[in-house]
Amino acid sequence: MELKVEKVGDVSVIKVPGRSLEASNVEEFKQDILPILNESGRVVLDIKNLDFVDSSGLGAFLSCLRTLNERGGDLKIAGMTKAVRALFEVVRMHRICDSFDTVDEATKAFE
Amino acid sequence: MGVDVRREISAATFERSVRQHIKFSLGKALREANTKDFFWAVSLAVRDLLIERMLKTRRRYGKADVKRVYYLSAEFLMGRSLGNNLCNLGLSEVYREVLTKLGADPVAVEESEFDAALGNGGLGRLAACFLDSLATLDLPGYGYGINYEYGLFRQEIADGYQKEKPDSWLAYRTPWELERYGKACPVPVYGRVENYQAKDGADNPMWLEWQLIIGVPYDMPIAGYGGNTVNCLRLYSARASQEFDMEIFNDGDYFKAVEQKIGSETVSKVLYPSDARAEGRELRLIQEYFLVACAVRDIVRRYEIAHSSFEMFPEKVAIQLNDTHPALAVAELMRILVDEKSVPWEQAWDITRRTMAYTNHTLLPEALEKWPVAMFERVLPRHLQIIYEINHRFLDDVAAAYPGDVDKLRRTSIIEEGEQKQVRMAHLATIGSHSVNGVSALHSGLVRTVLFPDFHEIWPEKFNNKTNGITPRRWLKLANPGLADLITEKIGDGWVTDLDQLARLEPLADDMEFQARFRQIKLANKHRLAKVINDTTSVTVNTNSLFDVQAKRIHEYKRQLLNVLHIVHEYLLLVEDRKVPTVPRTFVFAGKAAPGYWVAKMIIKLINNVASVINNDPRVDGLFKVVFVPDYRVSLAEVIVPATDLSEQISTAGMEASGTGNMKFALNGALTIGTLDGANIEIRKEVGKDNIFIFGLKIAGVQRLNQEGSYNPRELYQTNPDVKRVLDAINGDMFSANEPGLFKWVFHNLLDHNDRYYHLADLPSYLEAQRLASETFADVPTWTKKAILNVARMGKFSSDRAIREYAQDIWHIKPVSLTRRR
Repeated sequence: MELKVEKVGDVSVIKVPGRSLEASNVEEFKQDILPILNESGRVVLDIKNLDFVDSSGLGAFLSCLRTLNERGGDLKIAGMTKAVRALFEVVRMHRICDSFDTVDEATKAFE
Repeated sequence: MGVDVRREISAATFERSVRQHIKFSLGKALREANTKDFFWAVSLAVRDLLIERMLKTRRRYGKADVKRVYYLSAEFLMGRSLGNNLCNLGLSEVYREVLTKLGADPVAVEESEFDAALGNGGLGRLAACFLDSLATLDLPGYGYGINYEYGLFRQEIADGYQKEKPDSWLAYRTPWELERYGKACPVPVYGRVENYQAKDGADNPMWLEWQLIIGVPYDMPIAGYGGNTVNCLRLYSARASQEFDMEIFNDGDYFKAVEQKIGSETVSKVLYPSDARAEGRELRLIQEYFLVACAVRDIVRRYEIAHSSFEMFPEKVAIQLNDTHPALAVAELMRILVDEKSVPWEQAWDITRRTMAYTNHTLLPEALEKWPVAMFERVLPRHLQIIYEINHRFLDDVAAAYPGDVDKLRRTSIIEEGEQKQVRMAHLATIGSHSVNGVSALHSGLVRTVLFPDFHEIWPEKFNNKTNGITPRRWLKLANPGLADLITEKIGDGWVTDLDQLARLEPLADDMEFQARFRQIKLANKHRLAKVINDTTSVTVNTNSLFDVQAKRIHEYKRQLLNVLHIVHEYLLLVEDRKVPTVPRTFVFAGKAAPGYWVAKMIIKLINNVASVINNDPRVDGLFKVVFVPDYRVSLAEVIVPATDLSEQISTAGMEASGTGNMKFALNGALTIGTLDGANIEIRKEVGKDNIFIFGLKIAGVQRLNQEGSYNPRELYQTNPDVKRVLDAINGDMFSANEPGLFKWVFHNLLDHNDRYYHLADLPSYLEAQRLASETFADVPTWTKKAILNVARMGKFSSDRAIREYAQDIWHIKPVSLTRRR
C-alpha cells in the first residue's frame, strides 16, 4: 500500500490511500505503516479519502495507537467522514484518540 | 392555511396524473395498459399527493420542534394500501370515475395489489391501525419496522393440510416505498469487548471486530383521514456493508464476498411466522437488534438536527415498544448516549426511562422472550455489558428497598439464573420504561397481579391500561361501504373520525325500514363472501344461513378445536338423532398456523376433514356447510368480517390479551359468541349483556382450577354424553376414515394431557350459548336489532380513542394540525 508521508515539524502526516480500509487490505496497511510508526512519535492519519472503514480497519488504527503509546507517542486522526465517525464512536475510539476535521487542526493539536 | 385535500383534486387533475404516469413512469400507451399498469399509474398518482403532504407535514413538525412518538414494532400488518389511501384522501369516487372513463375496472385494479403482510396477526395489525389513527389525529408519529422481503407465508390447502408458500409481495415491487439510501444506518453485530483506558483515565470498554450490516430505509407515507397529515412508516432493509466488488482477485475471494453479501442481507429477508410464541433463533435476535439499531440511530440523528445536548431528549422523543421485540432499544439508547455521546450513566438512564414505554401483549409464558446469555454475549457483547450494569444498579435499589428479600431479587432480575442463564426481555423493557401497559382492562389487571406483581409493587405508577382499538376507516368505511353509506345517510359522516357518534343509530334499531336495509347490506356482503368461498374452496354456501365465523391465527388458546367440537355435536344431533337445526349454518374458518406448530396444523387438517364429511353427507342436505378459506390476510378479512353473523371469540379466559378481530366483527354488525376474556369483557359492557352470547369459565374459575389442580376432563367425558359422543366420533375415525388414528391426539390432549385450554370444561355452556344464538337468529327482527345495537355501541373501540389515551397519558404529545375546512 502506498502510504505518502509528509513531515510537519516533528509530526508525521500519513495519507491513507484508497476509499476503504477493511478486511481485504488491512494487513497490507499494517505491514506498510509499521516502519513509519517505528520512526515517528507523533502521527496524524489523514483519512479524508476513506468512505468506509470496517472493524478490522478500526482495529488497525487501534493497533497504531498502541504502538505509538508504548513508545510515549500519540496518534491523531484527520478528515473523518460522517459515516466513518459513526463507527469510530460505536467502538468508543474517540475516548482514546482525538480526531479533527483537517490535518492542520490535527498537527496543531500536538503543540 | 390548510385546505381539505378532497376539494383540491378534481377528476380532471387526477386523470391527467394517471395518464402521465402510464406514459412516463411506465412507458406505455394508454391502450396497452393492463390492470397491473393501471394499479401502478394510479398508485403513483396517489403517491405524488401523499409525498406533497408528507413534506408539508414534516415541515410543520420541524418548524414547531414538536415532540414526536416513534412506534417501534417488528410487525406492521398493512394489507393493501391503494384503497385505504384513496379513502383517506377522499378520492374513492374520483378514482372510480376516472378509471371507468379510461376503460379500466376499478375493483380489479384495487384487488390486483398484493397485501403487505409484514406481520403475523393482532400485534402487527394493531400497529397498522395505530399509524392510521396517529395521522388522522394529526399527531406527530412515525413507525419503525423491518422491510421483510418475504412477509407472512402464503397459505395453500392441499389434501386438507396447510402448505406454506413464500409470500413475495416485493417480487412485483411496491409503489408505496421511497428508498432513502442517504439515511442508511450502520449496524454492528458480533465481535468482542476489550477494555482500554480512556484519555481521562477512566475505563473504556471498546466493542471491536464486529461485522457490519447496513440498514437502508424505505419510507411508506401514511395518510390520515382527510389527508392533512401524512406521517411515515420507515422500514429498513439489510444490505451488505460494501459494494459488491467486481475486482475479482481470485475465485476464493469472489465466493467469500458473495457469501458475506448474502449473509448480511438475510437479516431482513423473512418475517418469523410465529404468533404468540417466542422465537429463539440467533437470526431473530439479530433482526430485533437491526430494527432497534436503525430506529434509535435515526431518532437520535433527527433530534440532533435541532438540539445540541440531550437534556431535552425525553421532551422531544417518545418511543413505544410494541411488545418486547424492540426491547433492545433500552440498551441501545444507553449505548449511544454513554458510549458515543459521552453522556454520564445516571443522566443517560434518566433520559432512557423517561423516553421509553412498553406495551405487553401476552401472558403466555412461551411467548415471553428470553435470550440465552451465551448467545447475547456472542451477538451483542457490548449490550450485554450494558444490560448487566442496568441490572446491577436496579438490583441494588431493590435490595435497599426490600432488605433481605433475596427471592424478590431473583424474581425481578433481568437475568434468569439456571443451567442456562437467560436475558428476560420483558424485565429489561419494564425496568427501562416509565410506562407499562396491557391492552385490555382484564389483561392489564393480570399484568399487575400475575405477570409483574413485583414490578407493580416497586412502581405502581408505571402500570396502566390502554384497551386496543381498530381503525374505522379500513374496518368499516373501506371494508363495508354499503353499511358505511347507510350510516352516513342517517347520521352524517362525523362517525368516521368520531366513532362515538354511532350511538346516534340506537333509535333506529327498532325501525323496520332501517332493519330491512341493514339486512340487505349484510346479505350483499354474504354474497360477496360466498363467491370468494366458492372461488377458493369450490364449496357453495347458502347465504341465508347463519354465517358463523372464526377467523384468526390458529392456536390452541383461541380454541378452534372447541368450535369443531360444537360442529361435530350439531352434525351428530342431525344425522344420529334426526334433530333438524333451528337455522341452517355456514361455519367459516380462516387463519394460518405457525409452520412449526404441529397441533395448530393438525387443527386445520381436522377442520378440513370435518368439512369434507359434513359437506358431502346427503343426510345433511345443505343444513350445514363447513369451509376453511385459505390464506387469511387483511384483504380477505375485509371480505369476511362484513359478511359475518356470529363472531367466534372463544379463547380460554385469561389467555387472549385483548383481541381486535372481536371489535371488527361487532363494528360490522356481527353478534359475538365468546368467553369473558380480553376485550370481550369491555365489548359486553358497551353493547349490553343481552346483545352478546357469553359462556364458559371466567378468569377466576380458570385460576381456581389451576391452583387447586382439580380439573378432571376425563370425568366430564365419562359423565356428559354429548361430550363423550363428540370425542368418540373424532377418536373413532369418523373424520379420518382414510387415515385411521390421525386425530387420536385430540383425545390425548383433552383427556390424557389434562386439556390445558379447558375445552371440555367450557363445552356444555358453549353448546347452550350456540343453541341460544340459533334461536335468536331465527327471530329475524330481534337478531337485526341486536346487530344494529352492536354497531351503535362500538364507539369505544376505535383506535383513535386508544391513540388519544396513549398520547395524553404516556407520550404527552399534541396534535399539530392545519386548519381544516369541514
